[in-house]
Amino acid sequence: MDNNAVVTLSHAKKAFGGNEVLKDLSLTVNRGDVLAIIGPSGGGKSTLLRCLTLLETLDSGELSYGDLAVTTAGPDGRAVYGGKAVLAEAKTRFGLVFQNFNLFPHYTVLKNVADAPICVQKRPREEAEAQARELLAKMGLAGKEDMVPCELSGGQQQRVAIARALALNPDVLYFDEPTSALDPELTQDVLRVIRDLAAEHMTMVIVTHEMAFARDVADQLIFMDDGRVVESGRAVDVIGNPTHERTRAFLSRYEQG
Amino acid sequence: MDFSVMMGILGDGFVLTAQIFAVTLVGSLPLGVVVALARMSRFKPLAWVAQLYISILRGTPLMLQLMAIMFGPYYLLGMQMGPDWKFTACAIGFIINYAAYFAEIYRSGIQSIPRGQYEAAAVLGYSRAQTFLKIVLPQVIKRILPAMGNEVITLVKDTSLAFVLGIAEMFSAAKALAAREVSMLPYAIAALIYWVFCLLIEFILNRLEKKLDYYHD
Repeated sequence: MDNNAVVTLSHAKKAFGGNEVLKDLSLTVNRGDVLAIIGPSGGGKSTLLRCLTLLETLDSGELSYGDLAVTTAGPDGRAVYGGKAVLAEAKTRFGLVFQNFNLFPHYTVLKNVADAPICVQKRPREEAEAQARELLAKMGLAGKEDMVPCELSGGQQQRVAIARALALNPDVLYFDEPTSALDPELTQDVLRVIRDLAAEHMTMVIVTHEMAFARDVADQLIFMDDGRVVESGRAVDVIGNPTHERTRAFLSRYEQG
Repeated sequence: MDFSVMMGILGDGFVLTAQIFAVTLVGSLPLGVVVALARMSRFKPLAWVAQLYISILRGTPLMLQLMAIMFGPYYLLGMQMGPDWKFTACAIGFIINYAAYFAEIYRSGIQSIPRGQYEAAAVLGYSRAQTFLKIVLPQVIKRILPAMGNEVITLVKDTSLAFVLGIAEMFSAAKALAAREVSMLPYAIAALIYWVFCLLIEFILNRLEKKLDYYHD
């Protein structure tokens, strides 16, 4: 196994009732890589992110974060999850930015970012708050620390959410359609922040419908449909020269739209 | 009878009324959380027990419940209860009854918190207890405040049911005075005091609502 791998998922399967959503899906994300995941709705992208972030459990398959095995294969092939300590450790290795931000509405912007480092990672308050201010400034949100989320625009809220995820110093940051809930003019601010992070070699996995953005920012790209990886490769190649019929059909709908 | 003597008797009654009111809130506000969590438990037998508890306590008259607790120990177990039992029985009756109503209000509030809040907390590594106490509960309080206000105001007037246990709270005092003086005046004064008490509670609730008005979602 590549010891540069931050996330390794192999032969993942997940079904809800009789409905198979992930069908033998594997992926590896290396340190510093930006991986974009595109594909039609209902193709399993969100479920994949939810399994990677432990919001859903895999039926079978192996998931590890660096050297930490989150699941191992049981004797009957089913995924066996590690104990509480393993899951807690795993959660320090990734962050997730939601489509709907999911900020805590009753906390100030600063507390949204600094609270988990203080309460979960038990870091000193001064240090955590200093880091939070720094991250917020980087997101273009200096001066907004004492506001509450409802006083901010959607684009600003999403940037707070990115700062919140970064505050735990994760190895990899997941984005679940980070701009789908935003007006077009607010989308750009969020995309710019993600671009900046990519330039700093932050490892990221981005589920997105912004094709131009995916092509420009991502190193690797996966086209997912029907619970499988249909096509994968360098982002510029897959978007510029899709080899698979389904990828072509999907991308042409975007060019027309 | 001197007006001031009458006011003194009503005042003594009001002290007991206020005690029943305070003891009930102190007991039932936290007990309601426990009942609500049991009601929502994934362990089905526990959820059923909580549901049965809520159903019985909401579905039978509070006056009957008070009498059952007051006289149950004697008629069912043959126990002789001391003179303090009257107030204790009254407090238990009010607390378990109001906990049932509060539990349902809490549940409505807890279930109104979007899934995304739990998911964000889970991904950030908050424990289940932290998620509930730090993320969910404060938001629930804001949402249920109007409904809770309703119940608390109702409680002010329900304290008069302690009358059936022979507790000399304000309504009992007014009734005794009215009979002795052959006058409706004690009732009118008692009504006024109940109303002023409720006004005070409304004022406090409004302040609380304003305090939590710093955000919306």
